[in-house]
Amino acid sequence: MHLNRDADLQQSSRNGLLLLQLLVLGMFLVFTLRFWYLQLHRGQEFAERAENNRIRQQQVYAPRGLIRDRGGVLLAVNEPAYALAIVREDSQDIPAVLRQVSEWLDLDHDQLLETFELGRLRIRRFQPQILVHSLTFEQLATIEANTMTWPELKIVTKPRRSYPQGPLLAHVIGYVAEANEQEMSADPDLTLGDSIGKKGIELTMERTLRGRKGLRQVDVDVAGRHLGTTLLVPPQAGNDVRLSIDLELQRFVDQTLGEHVGSVIVMEADTGQVLSLVSKPAFDNNLFVAGLSHADWALLRDNPAHPLQNRAIQSAYPPASVFKLVIAGAALTHQIAIPTDRVFCSGGLRLGNRLFRCWQRRGHGWMDMNQGLVQSCDVYFYTLGDKLGVDRMHPYAVESGFGLRTGIDLPHESMGLVPSRDWKRRRFNEPWHGGDNLNMSIGQGYMLTTPLQVARYTAALVNGGKLLKPQLLADAPPEVQGELPLQAGHRDFLVQTMVNTVEGSRGTARRIAKPGVRLGAKTGTAQVIRLMSEFERADLEDIPYHFRHHGWMNSFGQRDGRSYVIVAMVEHGGGGGSAAGPIIKSIYDYLFPDIQPADEPHEPG
Amino acid sequence: MSPVDRRLFTHFDWTLAGLALTLFALGVVNLYSASGFRMEEGLTLSSFYRKQLYWGIMGLGGMIAFLVFDYRHLRMLAWPLFLATVLALIATLLWGKTIMGARRWLDLGLFHFQASEFAKISLLILGAKLLSQDQGKLGWNQLLILGGIALVPALLVLKQPDLGSAITLLLILGGMIMYRGVHGAVLKVVLLVVPFLLPLGWHVLHDYQRQRILGFLDPTSDPLGAGYHIIQSQIAIGSGQMWGRGFLEGTQSQLRFLPEKHTDFALAVFGEEWGFIGCLILLLLISLFLLSIVRTAAEAKDGFGCYLAVGVFFYFFWQILINIGMVLGLMPVVGIPLPLISYGGTSTMTSFCLIGLVLSVSMRRFFFKKN
Repeated sequence: MHLNRDADLQQSSRNGLLLLQLLVLGMFLVFTLRFWYLQLHRGQEFAERAENNRIRQQQVYAPRGLIRDRGGVLLAVNEPAYALAIVREDSQDIPAVLRQVSEWLDLDHDQLLETFELGRLRIRRFQPQILVHSLTFEQLATIEANTMTWPELKIVTKPRRSYPQGPLLAHVIGYVAEANEQEMSADPDLTLGDSIGKKGIELTMERTLRGRKGLRQVDVDVAGRHLGTTLLVPPQAGNDVRLSIDLELQRFVDQTLGEHVGSVIVMEADTGQVLSLVSKPAFDNNLFVAGLSHADWALLRDNPAHPLQNRAIQSAYPPASVFKLVIAGAALTHQIAIPTDRVFCSGGLRLGNRLFRCWQRRGHGWMDMNQGLVQSCDVYFYTLGDKLGVDRMHPYAVESGFGLRTGIDLPHESMGLVPSRDWKRRRFNEPWHGGDNLNMSIGQGYMLTTPLQVARYTAALVNGGKLLKPQLLADAPPEVQGELPLQAGHRDFLVQTMVNTVEGSRGTARRIAKPGVRLGAKTGTAQVIRLMSEFERADLEDIPYHFRHHGWMNSFGQRDGRSYVIVAMVEHGGGGGSAAGPIIKSIYDYLFPDIQPADEPHEPG
Repeated sequence: MSPVDRRLFTHFDWTLAGLALTLFALGVVNLYSASGFRMEEGLTLSSFYRKQLYWGIMGLGGMIAFLVFDYRHLRMLAWPLFLATVLALIATLLWGKTIMGARRWLDLGLFHFQASEFAKISLLILGAKLLSQDQGKLGWNQLLILGGIALVPALLVLKQPDLGSAITLLLILGGMIMYRGVHGAVLKVVLLVVPFLLPLGWHVLHDYQRQRILGFLDPTSDPLGAGYHIIQSQIAIGSGQMWGRGFLEGTQSQLRFLPEKHTDFALAVFGEEWGFIGCLILLLLISLFLLSIVRTAAEAKDGFGCYLAVGVFFYFFWQILINIGMVLGLMPVVGIPLPLISYGGTSTMTSFCLIGLVLSVSMRRFFFKKN
């Protein structure tokens, strides 16, 4: 594309170029003149107008929605808190103010200066910049008395979250704390100093609980004195949330679990409403609201008992014998066995050159499915597991809700683990052995479940086979997530074996029996380690704490058309029945109080 | 494509690239200062200057892509690009995302694509192709075609409604035609007809746009409405006086005034904080930046390259003229950003791409022998 520039074009383009240069020059001159006019010629006048033009807009905090229990008792409230702020623009002598403040409030001057310098780059000079959070009433009084002489100091009111029940519900409610840089850049509604939910319901229901901030216009005179306030945008309070939790029951369960480490879940079998969810040890969520000191945080984080962990949903354990119900169901569904098929238990089962023991060394003798479940005979289930194989056990367990999150409205739920051939190859680069089937069939080996998964499964057994989402919100309708892969007749049979486990003379859960209430249960002992032989016959007290087994119990209780599921997991609590049993029994006593004879009329006296 | 020639690097226009980057950096610093929060949403502006930095990095990528690409291939692509633009504009009107009452954005998943910005690029390329095809002053036929290709996108953009972009489109092509020159007779007719067209234009405008023009003619008539921006931005700039209030210390440009301080009124923040001295330096940088584009146009060895540079010149010149004029109270408020300085993803991207185009022209000027 070669173009010969002839004279005509040369000429026209020269004209054109000249035109462009003149345009730039013209623009430069006109604008320079205008800048001169505005900034120098009339600058003084504009600067004065700016001085009088002192309208300030400030955010108005919206109160966060309240959290209540199912009966309406308050579990999370907002309290007024007062902070001391400085408005730089109104100050004649900032160092003097800072000295004065540190003297009044007995604060370290250098630290105050540092706070001031940090805030300086983030807060505009006419915006209140917070120097001291959460003033005590004495401090408040001191400053209030002096704000007339120090117009740059302002008291800022900001609602602060408070949890009257503290540790009792910390795992459910979680807490709010100041939003960090990441959260602020992800959410345009957040500004420096806003509190947002960081854990628990406070986090998952953030959108509901958070209101919309309002805006007010504050008129000030040149000295920074307040002339008046107009509300431009009214704040909108957040919406309240009513939890499914029954506070009194929660308190009772908490006391019953006492000093044990572990968790308890109480759930309505037909709706999935979680009436109580306790995880111990707990922590005080109020500590987080004001900002946790480094020492306190380290204490919580490094505590070997992990108080921040919600054991009901975040801890996964071998389900142990509790899982035998699932295996029995798989055997019935896949027609591997019928309830009357019998297996002889001599105290162990030989597979290849290994002996897989039953917990009952003497052996159970002839076992059918009912007795196998009631007495929790390992050999009976080894036999089923060997016949079923992992390729049938894995999908069956997943369909029964294991290895999947329950979807409860709490963050960081664990999935648990249902092993499979593929998984083992990926994880250990090893094939699946016959022995793995046997371990899986009694819920040991690689299997891991959370207490909440067990609760969901147990509820499905007694509510007609529906896997329900465990609901923490009182107003949420039941949410069916799936069906147990089990015929109704088989399901009834499994439920009956749970009843027999409580009512039968050899049942592992006979200690929780209660007249007038239909109770069913299954116990489980999750092995911490294969016990050394010296502890095998020892009493629980003589076994060091960390070598003791975890004890499971899942149960249901029904009376008067009410149907509850309770799951308890006590870490290092010894065998299933020993620690979890009494806890569950007390809770049923609470839920189904013995029918009192009618009160005698009081004698006057 | 010719093999990579060492002269491509020796002819690289460092002045233009350096000036562009300097202006952009000033814009980001200024955005940082325009922080605070926006009235409507309580936005922390910290996210604005950060986002603008990302846009700048993406823009640099676009600039490099454009300067590596031999601009002469754009001749073939001119019509297809233009038609694609028209289709994108129609798509925007049909399925665009409405933000603050205007359908200007196409949601492309990654970001919202403002087709009107793209229209400026493709119109400029097509204009350069048509204007460089023959020589001499323009006659009626050529003028009608040129008018057509400018009016179609301009009307589509006006429907969005985006008056600022519509005006910019017409002015870019108008400027390029002026550069080429028009036959005297034609010019006389046009000058006679335009005054009669103005009332028609008045009807096309939206109510709020008319309000703004009236407010400009007499700012005091409606001090809290249309004239408010104009008064406030003059107070902000004026109060900067000689040396300005200093970085981050502007009080007027903060949230008590202008919801568009980070976009169209970015200069008001700058003027208040850096004063007359700062504004003078900024004006000087802007002028030098424009003049280095003019130099590229002068040195281009083919008509197409020359007109491309002229088009880019007008893209920047008109927007700078209108934006600064508006902030200084010399022009009515139309939503036109200050290129390279105002916050805006598509505008930043477009600016850098066009600078890349100019660099591409200047790098390849040795391909043509001087006669």
